Amino acid sequence: MDILGRILMVEDDPKDVELTLTALADYNLSNEVVVIHDGEEALNYLYRRGNFKARQSENPAVLLLDLKLPKVDGLEVLQQIKSDEILRVIPVVVLTSSREERDMVASYKLGVNAYVVKPVDFHQFVNAIKELGMFWAIVNEPPPGSIRRK
Amino acid sequence: MAKQNPSLLKDLPAIQGYGLAIVSVAIALGIALLMQHYGLRGVEFPLFLFAISLTVWIAGNGPAVLAVGLSCLTFDYFFTEPLYSLYIRSSELPYYFIFILFAILLAWFSSARRRVELELLQSREELEREVAERTQRASLLNLTHDTIFVRDINDIITYWNRAAQELYGWTAEEAVGKQSNQLLQTEFPIPIDDVRAKLLRNGRWEGELWNTKADGSRVVVASRWSLRRDERQQAVAILETNNDVSDRKRREEEIRKLNDELGKRTTDLEASNKELEAFAYSISHDLRAPIRHIVGYAQLLQKNSSSVLDEKSHRYMTMILESAERMGTLIDDLLAFSRIGRAETRETAVNLDLLVKEILGEVQQDITGRNIAWKISALPDLYGDRSMLRLALTNLISNAAKFTRTRPQAEIEIGCLEKNKDEVVVFIRDNGVGFDMKYVDKLFGVFRRLHSADAFEGTGIGLATVQRIIHRHGGRVWAEGLVDRGATFFLSVPRQRR
Repeated sequence: MDILGRILMVEDDPKDVELTLTALADYNLSNEVVVIHDGEEALNYLYRRGNFKARQSENPAVLLLDLKLPKVDGLEVLQQIKSDEILRVIPVVVLTSSREERDMVASYKLGVNAYVVKPVDFHQFVNAIKELGMFWAIVNEPPPGSIRRK
Repeated sequence: MAKQNPSLLKDLPAIQGYGLAIVSVAIALGIALLMQHYGLRGVEFPLFLFAISLTVWIAGNGPAVLAVGLSCLTFDYFFTEPLYSLYIRSSELPYYFIFILFAILLAWFSSARRRVELELLQSREELEREVAERTQRASLLNLTHDTIFVRDINDIITYWNRAAQELYGWTAEEAVGKQSNQLLQTEFPIPIDDVRAKLLRNGRWEGELWNTKADGSRVVVASRWSLRRDERQQAVAILETNNDVSDRKRREEEIRKLNDELGKRTTDLEASNKELEAFAYSISHDLRAPIRHIVGYAQLLQKNSSSVLDEKSHRYMTMILESAERMGTLIDDLLAFSRIGRAETRETAVNLDLLVKEILGEVQQDITGRNIAWKISALPDLYGDRSMLRLALTNLISNAAKFTRTRPQAEIEIGCLEKNKDEVVVFIRDNGVGFDMKYVDKLFGVFRRLHSADAFEGTGIGLATVQRIIHRHGGRVWAEGLVDRGATFFLSVPRQRR
């Protein structure tokens, strides 16, 4: 598998994936998104193992991370990334349904770069996703070793 | 015990003693003369000795001397030649001498014997006195409610008081002579040898024992043992007192059981709290997602097919979106409500004036264009969780603003009642639509609404949240109102840190 994209999205719900991709399509960012459906695969992707052995070595410019994920949950993925010397530079945005304080506190303690609660209203959701995509994939200068803009 | 009369051995008064001497000698003389008259000669000597010994036995030494003297005189006068004269021939002197010697010997033996008898009597009296004393002591021990019994060093019961009889059911007659451990089937908390060792070392032992009563039932007693030693420091007896502590034990056991149950219930409660938390957590994650999807796809549909949808269909779309968004708000409010119950309160000193000012700034955007006359009095400081109190007051103030919407001139008053120094009572009064006092109990319930959604929007969680916050602060909330005449909401919060 040789997928290239600056936005790595870890999200198990296909509807959320579709809605997010729809939102990003307006900014022509949807083709920049790599979608991974569970925490274990996400780590495989980042460490280039399993199905992702062959992928290029650059890191994504941003990681959009859901917290409720099959197999390895979002907080564990976050912890692994932030405790890894190489992966810790990747900006991680937690994008979740949960407004629970303990999730928020745990995420910030682990060193998350942003915490976004998915708004119920679709317009607000679209705006949030667009701004996130814009900021992290276009405005923000990613750390060295990240996939560059084509 | 009947006392024997010891008067024969007691010293007679002097006059009686000497009288006895004279009388006994006179009787001996009479008998001797009578005998002589019938030709029996030579009996006077033992008769006089008998009179003397009788006198010395009964009346003591003084009268005995008189008896000896009188005997000599009468013997000389009536029985020796020359008769009827006190003249003593020198040849008869040894005879008198032997007589007096005899008399003295007799008196001496007699008085020695008398002394021994007196001593015997005395010790017997002492013995009786002691017996009486002990009997009295034993009957005193019978008066006590404590079970007391004594056993010898071989554990044979030698004393058993009435309380022991009452506790165990055996009478003293039944218990005395029995081996105590066999009778009571005593169960020791520690090996009996340890008990004995400790008793011999310290002279005391105490502990709880299980004993069996005569009726076979078991009893727990607090037992105290004291060792009695004789003059040579040899252990001779053990005095044991028992107090029935079965009731106490039973109560302790009951308390222990209740505590266990309480502990179990606490664990259960904690478990169900955890479950609730997990429930709220998954609602937070899982219930919001489908709502978001409904809204998302409906809005996409609306956008993509706006040209082909007729007006009716547009309305349906709007209805779907409104309902879904309302569902989202409900979930958010419900989660906020449950979070109040679960979150820890962080209590600090709160400046209410400042807090109300902040809240008014916050609600300002919702009331632009409204004509509201605010009347805000000085408010005291209190102790509480600032963010929670902020939420409670925000809910009440927004409510006041909401339910005065139909008024051309809305009036909202925020003030404080100085009822007592223990609590702060804050009220929010409005001239809005009010409510019927018969529904006052329903005001603070979750999802309770007194108005239709058309008239006033809302989820019915606001006042429930207020109540929960104030209850967590140890305060109360209540309300007064009249239909169409406004409402007043009160909340009280303890002034001091709890």
